[in-house]
Amino acid sequence: MSKETPLASVHLAEEEPVELPVEKPGFLPIETNWFDRLFISVVIWVALSLFWFRFIEPMGLSIWISNAIALGLAVWIIRKG
Amino acid sequence: MQSNRLGWILLAPTMVILFFFGVLPFVYVLWVSFHQWNPFAVDPTMVFNGADNFRKIVFDAAFLNSVGVTVMFVFFAVVSELIIGYFLAQAFMRDFPGKSFFRTIHTLPLIMAPIIVGSVWKLMMTPSIGIIPHYLNLWFGISVNIGTSPAAAFTTIVIMDIWHWTPLVTLTLIAALVSLPADPFEQAQIDGANKRQIFWHITLPMIAPAVVATVFIRLMDALRTVDEVWMLTGGGPGSATRFVGVHIFKEVFPKTNYGYGSTISVIVLYLTIVACWLLYVTMLAPRNSRKG
Repeated sequence: MSKETPLASVHLAEEEPVELPVEKPGFLPIETNWFDRLFISVVIWVALSLFWFRFIEPMGLSIWISNAIALGLAVWIIRKG
Repeated sequence: MQSNRLGWILLAPTMVILFFFGVLPFVYVLWVSFHQWNPFAVDPTMVFNGADNFRKIVFDAAFLNSVGVTVMFVFFAVVSELIIGYFLAQAFMRDFPGKSFFRTIHTLPLIMAPIIVGSVWKLMMTPSIGIIPHYLNLWFGISVNIGTSPAAAFTTIVIMDIWHWTPLVTLTLIAALVSLPADPFEQAQIDGANKRQIFWHITLPMIAPAVVATVFIRLMDALRTVDEVWMLTGGGPGSATRFVGVHIFKEVFPKTNYGYGSTISVIVLYLTIVACWLLYVTMLAPRNSRKG
């Protein structure tokens, strides 16, 4: 056997193996990447803010509490979702 | 690397156009939505008022009513268009005499401008001269006046939208049905599947991407319907057909309240994106493989 690369597999030897990103499945029921999870966090942030303006803020609680909760949720969703 | 660079070069014009005509206006509207701004007032300067516009919008009964009316309109119109469009697509998949003629006639509403559709329907619905109230009264004894009856006005707009946009749904579903391979259907028939089983387990899953894309287009279109409604009812009687698009128009142009109008636009955009995203997640998104 010759040590030279067989002609038929020359093109294969030149290609670098493609590493597919392997992500741990998170708690969300759908497959997501980090941008999807950022999007979900922004959607939740807006919904929570509007809910807060309508129902919670009239009771005297500042919107900044809602923002803090949304930020915490965002970090959790982006890291673990 | 070469193909990557070529790809970016080919994409560049689209991205530049998208940036100037899509991203930049959106960022500007978002910026204006945090301001109080009446450019035609004595003092036309923009005054930053934080989230006050958003604080106001959640208590705005007129806006909340317009969202409710719009959601009802979108639901009735899009669902009807999808069902009628599917049956018409199935009909046009078969051969019958005059098929090409009927397909052309059926597609004609699609090429009409919405403002024209609105004025044609207004002519047809005007009680004294319109053909529809005349024959409804003559044949069934029903008196219809979209200027005084909220239910009649709303129903007319739904029917007008169905008439205008069902051809689009039919065309996209014909394209989806034509591209389906014959093998799964033949195998299902050999296995003894009935028509309903074939529809739910083969046809629908295979045309689902086309259905979702069609619903996306119709959903986004229906949520920003203005011109047809403006022409036909002007948002009335009362606020029965005051959809969000009409509400924004009335807020921005007659009242020249640009800041608050931008806030409503941003919220409507948010609702549209969320609705489309939920639809995508429900019907197409790949499920997480995690167990438990």
